[in-house]
Amino acid sequence: LNVVVVIVFLLGSDSLPTLGASEVSADGLVNEEVKRTVDLSTHLAKITAEIVLSNQGHSAVQSFMLAVEADLAPHLAYIGASVKGDEEEDGTLELQQTTIPGQSGQFYKVQLPSTLAAGAQLKAKVEMTFSHVLKPFPTQITQAERQLVVFQGNHYLYSPYPTRSQTTRVRLASKTVESYTKLGNPSKNDEIVEYGPFRDVAPFSEDTMKIHYENNTPFLTISSITRTIEVSHWGNIAVEETIDLRHTGAVLKGPFSRYDYQRQSDSGISSVKSFKTILPASAQDVYYRDEIGNISTSHLQVLDDSVEVEVRPRFPLFGGWKTHYMIGYNLPSYEYLYTLGDQYALKMRLVDHVYDDQVIDSLTVKIILPEGARNIHVDTPYRIDRMPNQLHYTYLDTFGRPVLVATKNNLVEHHIQDVVVHYNFNKILMLQEPLLVVGAFYILFFTVIIYVRLDFAITKDPAAEVRMKVASITEQVLTLVNKRLGLYRHMDEVVNRYKQSRDTGALNSGRKTLEADHRTLTNEISSLQARLKAEGSDLADKVGEVQKLDGQVKELVCRSCQEAERLVAGKVKKEAYIESEKTLTSKRQELVSRIDSLLDAL
Amino acid sequence: MAEHHPVSDSKHKSSLNSGASYSGNGRSSTAVAERGSNAGAGGGGLSGGLSQPAGWQSLLSFTILFLAWLAGFSSRLFAVIRFESIIHEFDPWFNYRSTHHLTTNGFYEFLNWFDERAWYPLGRIVGGTVYPGLMVTAGLIHYVLNLLHITVHIRDVCVFLAPVFSGLTSISTFLLTKELWNQGAGLLAACFIAIVPGYISRSVAGSFDNEGIAIFALQFTYYLWVKSVKTGSVFWTIGCCLSYFYMVSAWGGYVFIINLIPLHVFVLLLMQRFSRRVYIAYSTFYIIGLVLSMQIPFVGFQPIRTSEHMAAAGVFVLLQVYAFLQYLKDRLTRQEFQTLFFLGVSVAAGVVFLSVIYLTYTGCYAKIHIPIIASVSEHQPTTWVSFFFDLHILVCTFPAGLWFCIKNINDERVFVALYAISAVYFAGVMVRLMLTLTPVVCMLSAVAFSSVFEHYLGDDMKRQSPPAEDSSDEDDRKNAGNLYDKAGKVRKHVSEQEKAEEGLGPNIKSIVTMLMLMLLMMFAVHCTWVTSNAYSSPSVVLASYNHDGSRNILDDFREAYYWLRQNTDEHARVMSWWDYGYQIAGMANRTTLVDNNTWNNSHIALVGKAMSSNETAAYEIMRSLDVDYVLIIFGGVIGYSGDDINKFLWMVRIAEGEHPRDIRESDYFTPQGEFRVDKAGSPTLLNCLMYKMSYYRFGEMQLDFRTPPGFDRTRNAEIGNKDIKLKHLEEAFTSEHWLVRIYKVKKLENRDRVEHKLRSTDATKQKYTTKKVSWDFKHWTV
Repeated sequence: LNVVVVIVFLLGSDSLPTLGASEVSADGLVNEEVKRTVDLSTHLAKITAEIVLSNQGHSAVQSFMLAVEADLAPHLAYIGASVKGDEEEDGTLELQQTTIPGQSGQFYKVQLPSTLAAGAQLKAKVEMTFSHVLKPFPTQITQAERQLVVFQGNHYLYSPYPTRSQTTRVRLASKTVESYTKLGNPSKNDEIVEYGPFRDVAPFSEDTMKIHYENNTPFLTISSITRTIEVSHWGNIAVEETIDLRHTGAVLKGPFSRYDYQRQSDSGISSVKSFKTILPASAQDVYYRDEIGNISTSHLQVLDDSVEVEVRPRFPLFGGWKTHYMIGYNLPSYEYLYTLGDQYALKMRLVDHVYDDQVIDSLTVKIILPEGARNIHVDTPYRIDRMPNQLHYTYLDTFGRPVLVATKNNLVEHHIQDVVVHYNFNKILMLQEPLLVVGAFYILFFTVIIYVRLDFAITKDPAAEVRMKVASITEQVLTLVNKRLGLYRHMDEVVNRYKQSRDTGALNSGRKTLEADHRTLTNEISSLQARLKAEGSDLADKVGEVQKLDGQVKELVCRSCQEAERLVAGKVKKEAYIESEKTLTSKRQELVSRIDSLLDAL
Repeated sequence: MAEHHPVSDSKHKSSLNSGASYSGNGRSSTAVAERGSNAGAGGGGLSGGLSQPAGWQSLLSFTILFLAWLAGFSSRLFAVIRFESIIHEFDPWFNYRSTHHLTTNGFYEFLNWFDERAWYPLGRIVGGTVYPGLMVTAGLIHYVLNLLHITVHIRDVCVFLAPVFSGLTSISTFLLTKELWNQGAGLLAACFIAIVPGYISRSVAGSFDNEGIAIFALQFTYYLWVKSVKTGSVFWTIGCCLSYFYMVSAWGGYVFIINLIPLHVFVLLLMQRFSRRVYIAYSTFYIIGLVLSMQIPFVGFQPIRTSEHMAAAGVFVLLQVYAFLQYLKDRLTRQEFQTLFFLGVSVAAGVVFLSVIYLTYTGCYAKIHIPIIASVSEHQPTTWVSFFFDLHILVCTFPAGLWFCIKNINDERVFVALYAISAVYFAGVMVRLMLTLTPVVCMLSAVAFSSVFEHYLGDDMKRQSPPAEDSSDEDDRKNAGNLYDKAGKVRKHVSEQEKAEEGLGPNIKSIVTMLMLMLLMMFAVHCTWVTSNAYSSPSVVLASYNHDGSRNILDDFREAYYWLRQNTDEHARVMSWWDYGYQIAGMANRTTLVDNNTWNNSHIALVGKAMSSNETAAYEIMRSLDVDYVLIIFGGVIGYSGDDINKFLWMVRIAEGEHPRDIRESDYFTPQGEFRVDKAGSPTLLNCLMYKMSYYRFGEMQLDFRTPPGFDRTRNAEIGNKDIKLKHLEEAFTSEHWLVRIYKVKKLENRDRVEHKLRSTDATKQKYTTKKVSWDFKHWTV
């Protein structure tokens, strides 16, 4: 094999010795038959080529080369090749970028699954997607006008090998075509223009194909997207995408009339009103907002295998207009996080669906792993630029969560693939957060306890202390006086009962208990009174007065008791008893109310 | 003088006791609050027992306050639950924007912030023209939370600041009422203020405005003031000064404090209630408060310069003189002369004081006649309806509370009486000042309710308690701290037995209690209803309801503002009426000409003039002001009544105030003196810029089949000028429901278009012109 493959990048291709094209094709590969399809029905150019490759050299080949035109190469978002076997099994092949000296463009070396023997044939399918190659022309249109775009490409397959026969079929977005190149008298049928067949095309032949046609499909471009994946070991993965969206079609010229937009169906036909974003089926708590709040014009639909968000920007996007929003949701971690002992593996999409045929100019992915994740290792599906890791602090973090940051430019739908992040995590660390909360509460309560229990006053206020002492003594006095009054009432009942039952014994015992209780209570009150005096409070006098009055009350009670005895003994008449009882009661009432007023003053 | 302090102290204590004995008349003060939970734990906070009931009591008041906080917080969340966590209205957007600036750029950067996005081309020195308390508070909370790694967005801090502070307000109201009356009334007042609509109107979640924290600062300052008057301790007074400082930093309403406190002192002097405590409290407060208040850049030297603050200075001087005289009185014997002298001084001081107040408020009154101030809806006089709407039953009961306070007057009740009277006056002048009335109404109503419940619920207790008292001593032992009240009960039992036995008493009492409870319940229902219906609309987002009850969200404001933010040049200048200035700055992040900080009347008048002139004249003004876009609000499609056409007469009036030669209000009326947008409307109106922008292409629009095209739903009229052509403007954006319309001001044409036909060098044309000239010549010679 004498294919000169310079493993590139370090050396400029100009400085390399020029090698002829003949040498490149020296491995004897020939494109036997090529069917190209150029799909221009969206704002992307998707070129697929089915190539029958035959080895007409003398030795078997291990790989073959793919080429992209120099004009288109900067816009190449995705390139992939697969071998079409007989059993309809597509084997995706590995590509490696290389250069061919002396030739402009980008080149890829495709490793074949098995060697292609001399004289053998192989069916390969090559897919390329280009972004931003459909140029609006005119570049500015009014609201009523339709959007016309120009595509400039190649009539032929750009290949390092000679081509025996090829056809090119171009699919457009609409029937309206302003102009198209007429190489080889192409046939046009509705949205399809067919070129060819062209015979015996030399290697690296280029012939500009130019098509100017109407294309009103949404020319949406995500100028930048930041996708943040935050993994929590408590069962949740939070995903948030911050998206800058721009309509990259023909720029709106002149006024935007809401009236026309509402009344005429074809007004602003190239503008974008809404689009659908497909989220994973288990997405929950979806939010769609921007800097000034929730965007209320969206709808969410939960399907069996996905969650569909109808994302409607706040305003319709006309050419040149842009918007910015965030969309976020939660996922259960059991679907994406795999674990074996201390080893964890997170398998998530590096970039997810935003809208059909999406174009992402610049992607930043941030994966926030739990605090304490170590030995982080990332498997990406395609090459992606890693940035230095960052630290992220959120709820209850102490030393920060590791954040993996990666960026990539120019992505399309083909890049929706899984990334796998392996890391180690000590499960003991899960306890850290609850313990932190427990500790915080412990400290809080402990402080309160300390504060309440201990006296932090820097001065002593003797007056206040005395006042408090007096207050507590007064309270005790009040209790006792009340009890004493209760005793009298109790005695009344005893007397009443006696009047009915005429049981002198009961009366006497009642009287005795009254006497005894009364004495103890009075003594207690006197001792309290003495204490009050000791504290220097003038309340002592009042208590003394209460005592005096109480003595009178007690006398009255005793008298009523005696009266009752006499009544029962028949010594007084009933009327006289009632009379005397009345005077006694009123006297008592008077005394009690005086005691009350004194107590109130305490 | 040395003797004076203890004497006054005991007097003070006795005044306290009078309050306490009053509460002792019936059940304990906390009766309402703790009904059914612990019959024993009453007694007011004054008995100060360290025994168990005190523990119960503090637990209970803690629980009630916590629940009041919770209730207050959650009843403010209607807007968040119905819509989202969003900043409301107009001013809050500015506060949010400056808080955002504070958190992103730091405190000093905030103080030095020159906002070139406002008042184009003048700009605004934000740090020096704003009360920074609100932003600093929110910024501080955000900073602390982020320090603890609680990653809360500053917007959420701002949205929930006012509800959180409402809880602090209810606690400080509790403290103040407790000082004035007793703990029970305090708890009631805390519950009232937590849910009363008059306060909720300014403190719902999302209403990120000065008032939200200022009412807390106001109440807390008053609490500390009452406390310092009661104790005469410098400690409390310093606390009061710090709280006053916070209030000054938060709201212009601090002027209310700096006038009310001197008034209180002055009235105390008049009432012969001067004491050393008052002297210490006021002297300290005035000096330290003055120095602190001057630290706020926006206030600066105003406290020693403007008439609003002169009353405080006057009272300070008066107090010194009075104290000096008191001192002399001890030394001199000529009593009569002394009294005369005192009378003379006090009368003179009173005259000075009253004239200062008079000047101040006539000043305010003059301000009201400037159209721009009068044009603000919240500066309108308060109607009776809104008193009832905002305060409900409290407005009826608070005079009763005031009466109770005056009946049992003491130093701090003088204060609350003055507070009530002045607040009622101010609330009557301006709707906005209803806010200062609300706390005092809550406090006094709580006093009234608390007294009533003490009276009537006490008897309820009596009916149940006597057997317990007679039979069981352990009950007494359990409630050892509480016998003070029980004594009262026993007395009633014994001495009023006859009355009670008549049987009518308890019934009436229970009926009254039930009625009161019904009133309170209705109050709670009313509060919730008002909050939910009147005060919980963010006004940035509108909602309409369909026949089937489903809800449509009209998000036009944010749609248009976001369009401006995303799709115009970063330095584009947007002209709109001043109402929308803060929103444009906050949501669209674009330069505005005028905004809600209406400090420059002539600039606003210029915008008003542009809006009310015809397109050519307006173009001149807009060119001179470098306007790129014009934003207007138009409600004709959905029937939104707060749109610019309805505000238009104010624009005309304000413009007329500054440019009376160009704009005359009468031109915009029909000869009959009506303001109409239909065919009968005045031609000046039908051709002015505002009209043209509002109705541009609206004449073609037929909203439904019953009405002709161009039917304005807000004003219920078919517009008079349907064929509107714009020459210098072009429609740049109109929101989905036409609520916001944005026009782009066209740049000058590259080359002036000439009205007449261009001179042509073509030979045949040459002939024609010569002919014409000859004809002209002929014509001229004839």
